[in-house]
Amino acid sequence: MVNLVVLDSRTHRNVRVAPRPSREWAEINVVSVVPREFPRLVAHYPIFFTKSAESGRFEPAVLLGFQRTENLFFAHGRWDVAYVPLQIQRQPFSLMPRRGAGPAGSQPSLDVALDLDCSNIQTQEGERLFLDDGAPSKFLQDITSILSALVSGSREAYEFTGRLAELNLVEPVRIDVEFVDRSEAKLEGLYWIAAAALKALPAAQLAELRDRGFLEWLYFQMASVAHMSGLVARKNQVLSGVTAARRPEGGNAGPA
Amino acid sequence: MPDRPEQRPDEPAAPPVGAGEQPAPPGEQPVGRGDQPVRRIVIVGGGTAGWIVAGVLASRYPRRGEDGVAITLIESRQQPPIGVGEGTWPTIRATLKQIGVSETDFLRECDASFKQGSQFVKWVDASDSDTYWHPFTLPADYADRNLAPYWLEGLPQAGFAASVCFQTELCSQALAPKLITTPEFAGLANYAYHLDAGKFAPFLQKHCVGKLGVSHVYDEIVQVQSDGHGGIAHLVTKSGDLLAADLFIDCSGFAALLIGKHCGVPFRSMKDVLFIDKAWAVQIPYRDDAAPIASATVSTAQSSGWVWDIGLTSRRGVGYVFSSNYLSDDRALEELQAYLAARGDLSSELSFRNIPINSGYRQESWVGNCVAVGLSAGFLEPLEASAIVMIELSAKSIANLLPGCRSGMWQAARIFNDTFRYRWERIVDFLKLHYVLSRRTDGRFWIDNRRIESIPDSLREAMDYWRHHCPWHEDFSHREEVFSAASYQYILYGMGFQTSAAPWLLNDDDRNRAREALSETARRATALSAALPGNRDLLTRIRRYGLQKI
Repeated sequence: MVNLVVLDSRTHRNVRVAPRPSREWAEINVVSVVPREFPRLVAHYPIFFTKSAESGRFEPAVLLGFQRTENLFFAHGRWDVAYVPLQIQRQPFSLMPRRGAGPAGSQPSLDVALDLDCSNIQTQEGERLFLDDGAPSKFLQDITSILSALVSGSREAYEFTGRLAELNLVEPVRIDVEFVDRSEAKLEGLYWIAAAALKALPAAQLAELRDRGFLEWLYFQMASVAHMSGLVARKNQVLSGVTAARRPEGGNAGPA
Repeated sequence: MPDRPEQRPDEPAAPPVGAGEQPAPPGEQPVGRGDQPVRRIVIVGGGTAGWIVAGVLASRYPRRGEDGVAITLIESRQQPPIGVGEGTWPTIRATLKQIGVSETDFLRECDASFKQGSQFVKWVDASDSDTYWHPFTLPADYADRNLAPYWLEGLPQAGFAASVCFQTELCSQALAPKLITTPEFAGLANYAYHLDAGKFAPFLQKHCVGKLGVSHVYDEIVQVQSDGHGGIAHLVTKSGDLLAADLFIDCSGFAALLIGKHCGVPFRSMKDVLFIDKAWAVQIPYRDDAAPIASATVSTAQSSGWVWDIGLTSRRGVGYVFSSNYLSDDRALEELQAYLAARGDLSSELSFRNIPINSGYRQESWVGNCVAVGLSAGFLEPLEASAIVMIELSAKSIANLLPGCRSGMWQAARIFNDTFRYRWERIVDFLKLHYVLSRRTDGRFWIDNRRIESIPDSLREAMDYWRHHCPWHEDFSHREEVFSAASYQYILYGMGFQTSAAPWLLNDDDRNRAREALSETARRATALSAALPGNRDLLTRIRRYGLQKI
């Protein structure tokens, strides 16, 4: 369950949040991401596009596993890669539109909210949210900047994918894999860059993509698909009972 | 610039074809010449029919210019569109896709909503529980197995449609047939649209003129010039232009300027079979932005006809079609107002429009080089929304049959006329079936509708056959039937028709599979109604976000 409350420097003066990764938000096989993370994501994860259940619009996402709650990057209570998507890093915080604020039609003001039911919340250990004088802690400031990066990043993501869709540069991809134990996985609802359409794109539109910064994002997505073999390898390791080796750089997934 | 087939009479219509041939002397266009190419098409009338035909032909034959096809649509500014017909069949999705418009644009600009079938209320015996469905999704297993005899022997509690088709559950909850993530023109259940006909024609016009190179002329036709060989040479317009063409398509509505006034093809009235000849129509605003939008057309039987109730995104369209032989205009209006009052929709601001309906069709819609599409070809009461689907079928047939040269015109006309005469007859049969199966005794309209002399032989013979045999694929001979065996099953068994299937023609294997199909249908109904959004909810989100093409 999620129990979101707007953060308040008085009410939550003594609340602490353990900066450790939690199962609660790791048991998921698709996490939505924003293009500004692509340069870091591309080092580890396959990036695709999925459709938002609310709007049907394409949004970038990384694939973490082959079953609904399977995250092959998360083992023994920790992420084993150096970079964790912002959408995970922000937990257990989110932004909520402020009620009744602003004139109709304007962008609503957003408040930082906290999921009180999260097991990482306590009063003894962990990062404080507020200093004694009520000012936000460095930890909370970092969280706030992650949240605002997600807000503007998500706007960029929709501009990016909206333009890709208009140019017919997105196509559905079906993933059928067979693992070492002969079990199979079929993934649907994933999309990627239509390479043939990209090759055939007229120069003017290619230049437009470059000028808007979309071109590099698009190539990051295409390159990231190479990690699919790594993802299958991780799954095969799990299936063969081999424990995924912890990498030296695989530290805590707290806010960067 | 696309060519316009306008020309001066002293200029040849097209470069001469064949060696050694000379252009005809001025004033004697060789329009009927056998080897003359068919590449100039003039469409008369800019309503739903005109623009669907223009869109289908222009998208199928996209080459314009000297070695292409020239398509011109001429319409009068004087002629207001009829603009009542708002129901479509699922074929419309393929038609819109063919024309090349986006479903998102169409839904937004035509105030369209999703339609998944029809609900008939009080058609059987006028009791309070009297309702049945005609959904667009085919019965389960329809390709392989006829479930009807096994449904009939099972003495089922649920109605036929609800037993064999998961879609009735979606309709009764006013759910959408798809998700926001479902691509354009695809669905989890088969669907069509309710649309605002007044907005549909301008929407298609914009696309046809802007994207497909159709020439558009506002003018009036003052004269139709014969070519002396049984065809039309050109049209003379009020502003003095001549519009010559190889094929003229009459989409001029009830006026039937070419097929009726010029060619003199007689209109065959169907009023002895289908008694409806008038309508009262009204537009009803929604009470608020959250009021559900029904995803089926609701047809509620009245004393001498029936009321249609159609939900668009912007408003509802409601109307009473009735027979003036049995009911006066005033009494009909009272009945319609009572229908609205019972739903809390009656107010003093409503304006009711009286519309004449002349059920019938022309037995020949293609004569010489003139073919009629839409109301000029025929119209039957709107009971099963057959008007727009007939336009689509006509446009598709013309595109498929379009001869390369004038010599092929006669054969194309013969095939077209045979096909469409058959289609009109089948629609008449299918509409009449609803009245024949009614057991209402509360008015002469209903009783007279069951009189044997008002029932076409073809329908009577089919119904005799169905007393011991459930309708099935082979009962219908054409490749593309307007109403398939599935539709007949939904109406027959929805209205309580009894088929006593011969027991020796049934078997346990099919019986078991039928049972499985029925439980699978129930499972799908539950699963889909949990997953699908409300019709209004999805339409609102499409307005905001659009649908993806893939």
